[in-house]
Amino acid sequence: MLELIDITKKYKQTKAVKNMNMYIEKGEIVGLLGPNGAGKSTAISILSSLLEPTSGDVKFRNKSMIKNPKSLRQIIGIVPQEIALYEDLSAEENMKFFGRIYRLKGEKLKNKISEVLEQIGLADRRKDVVKTFSGGMKRRLNIGVAMLHDPEILIMDEPTVGIDPQSRNYILQTVKRLNKERQMTVLYTSHYMEEVEYLCDRIYIMDKGNLIASGTKDEIKQILASENTIYLKADYWNESFITKLQEKPQIHQMKVEGNEIVLVVSKDVAIFSKLAHLAEETSVQLRAVDVKQVTLEDVFLHLTGRALRD
Amino acid sequence: MRGILLAKFTTFIRNPWVFLLFTVMSIGFTLIIGYTGGNGEKITVPVAGAEEVRTGSIGKALEGNEVYHFKWQEEADMKEIVRLGEAEAGIIMEEAGYEMFIRVETPNVQLIEQTIADIYTEKIRESQVLELFQGETAAEEKAFLTAYHEAMDQPLFEITNDNFRNADSYQFDQGLHAIFGFTLFFVIYTIGYNVLPILTEKKEGIWDRMILSPLKKWEIYLANLVYSFFEGYLQIIIIFSVFHYFVGVDFYGELAGILLIMLAYTFTIVSLGIFVTALVKNIQQFNAVLPIISVSMAMIGGAFWPLEVVQSDILLALSKINPLTYGMEALNNLVLYNLPFEEILMPVSILILMGVIFMGVGIHLMEKRHI
Ligand SMILES: Nc1ncnc2c1ncn2[C@@H]1O[C@H](COP(=O)(O)OP(=O)(O)OP(=O)(O)O)[C@@H](O)[C@H]1O
Ligand SMILES: [Mg+2]
Repeated sequence: MLELIDITKKYKQTKAVKNMNMYIEKGEIVGLLGPNGAGKSTAISILSSLLEPTSGDVKFRNKSMIKNPKSLRQIIGIVPQEIALYEDLSAEENMKFFGRIYRLKGEKLKNKISEVLEQIGLADRRKDVVKTFSGGMKRRLNIGVAMLHDPEILIMDEPTVGIDPQSRNYILQTVKRLNKERQMTVLYTSHYMEEVEYLCDRIYIMDKGNLIASGTKDEIKQILASENTIYLKADYWNESFITKLQEKPQIHQMKVEGNEIVLVVSKDVAIFSKLAHLAEETSVQLRAVDVKQVTLEDVFLHLTGRALRD
Repeated sequence: MRGILLAKFTTFIRNPWVFLLFTVMSIGFTLIIGYTGGNGEKITVPVAGAEEVRTGSIGKALEGNEVYHFKWQEEADMKEIVRLGEAEAGIIMEEAGYEMFIRVETPNVQLIEQTIADIYTEKIRESQVLELFQGETAAEEKAFLTAYHEAMDQPLFEITNDNFRNADSYQFDQGLHAIFGFTLFFVIYTIGYNVLPILTEKKEGIWDRMILSPLKKWEIYLANLVYSFFEGYLQIIIIFSVFHYFVGVDFYGELAGILLIMLAYTFTIVSLGIFVTALVKNIQQFNAVLPIISVSMAMIGGAFWPLEVVQSDILLALSKINPLTYGMEALNNLVLYNLPFEEILMPVSILILMGVIFMGVGIHLMEKRHI
């Protein structure tokens, strides 16, 4: 339904997006995942016709949207990364404003506002000025405002940044419900793996302007099908343990995080005895050794050598 | 577009503090600088002359002048001061007459000349009266002159001199200058901080939401401009009303003309605001740049002191591209110098032209840079 074809966006010094291809079909929730500065916001600005690409094309129902994006603009709703609301207006006044710019009026607008306020759980705060809202409430209103004109595609740019877990769950559930009950198509941008894993059917992973992986959750995890992730815990590590681990060719990836070490190793290698031996040799007291199911986080680590949130 | 204006006005009514602050500052500074102090603010005029002139009746008359501070100098020094432009005019005083040195012909120079001429007229009248009296001794003559002066102070009938800008109204003009200067200066801030939200709305995404909606882009711009214009102009009306109705300044009956000129000035400053907003990268830069622009505009535009005291050629050249210069010029030409209509139309036209250019370039840059 909506696709990016070979999109590149250059700023003066940086190439924010490089040769990116992507598509969204009706009724899907698609995740766009990547660390800070990956180019997610740039990509979705291009997708929603707010930014012209340096090269490449944006197609909606097989028509190019670069020169004449009107048909696309009518059916998308965007949730910007920042809180795009008037802080001195109440929740209801904000909704009235953003409804009116879509030519909604009178009873219809009123009903729609009540309906959306209900959906985002702010019905009892409708008269309050946005300035007085918590971060989570602002985020929810930021989403609500994008749904007033019943968009077919909802494009969300990190809608859960910096909020409490409760609000976050609420938002995730709302998105899932909208998708189920109204077949709303959603493009969900995030740098939280677990959100994308929970919500999305298909996932694109970006890093430094490049698309480094794409496909369904399972397809992406297949990248690591032949490997295991092992978590080691100890009270402290010493230099020689770490350097000797690094020297082992079976270990493909390794990350030290406080008293935890994460290793990605080939499945078919018998590594446990080697680890135990090494610990003894360097007098490291291992507290726990754990093999976990592959997560998207591991895939990202595998593909880039970095953790997603670094 | 109505929606945007409504949102802006609601925001303004709930949060008018910045607006009020700049309005109050504008009025406060004008009151402090324009309407207090008085004689401390005399304009200094260098004069040269022989010892007997300095101590004689002419010297006394000069000393007693309420508007100008006449400062005795050596003739060469006086000429040098005038040549450097540190004073508008200098005078060589003799018993029989005077000679004026002028760098530029300003309305002030005419007033100085008027003042000096009055002194000599009075001196001639005195000597004529003395001749009629034909006193025998110096003491007699002195007694007669004292009586004469007393009589002059209590005339049978009085002719009031209603020439504009006479000695009594000068203090008033100092006040007018301050009203004009500070109004033009502070309104730059008010308008600046009303144009700034374009930048924040673009950054936060409110602007994106509007672009994706069926709103036309020109509607978005127009609504923002109309609103900034309104707030700037409202401030001007408030300031002038306060001085007219509460302080009792009559603006020589030109209040309507002043407000018309201010329409053009407000438009130009809104455009300047757009231009600056398009050039800066973020709010911090805007906050850093705005005071630099406004203060330098006020300094080289004649808001704080008359442009006549500015000497540097570079500054004078810069003042030619400064909207504030033309705002001050139009106001002064109308109210203080009472010049004909063309002399007011000229700076106003320049203001409007500048406004159009700033606006055009500003919007173009904003669109290009995708802030
Ligand atoms: N207007 C701009 N001018 C110059 N460079 C830009 C501009 N916008 C983005 N960039 C650069 O492009 C790159 C990608 O930025 P983008 O905002 O798309 O990343 P992101 O994935 O959304 O990151 P985040 O998670 O922090 O929101 C960054 O290196 C950024 O500095
Ligand atoms: Mg982003």
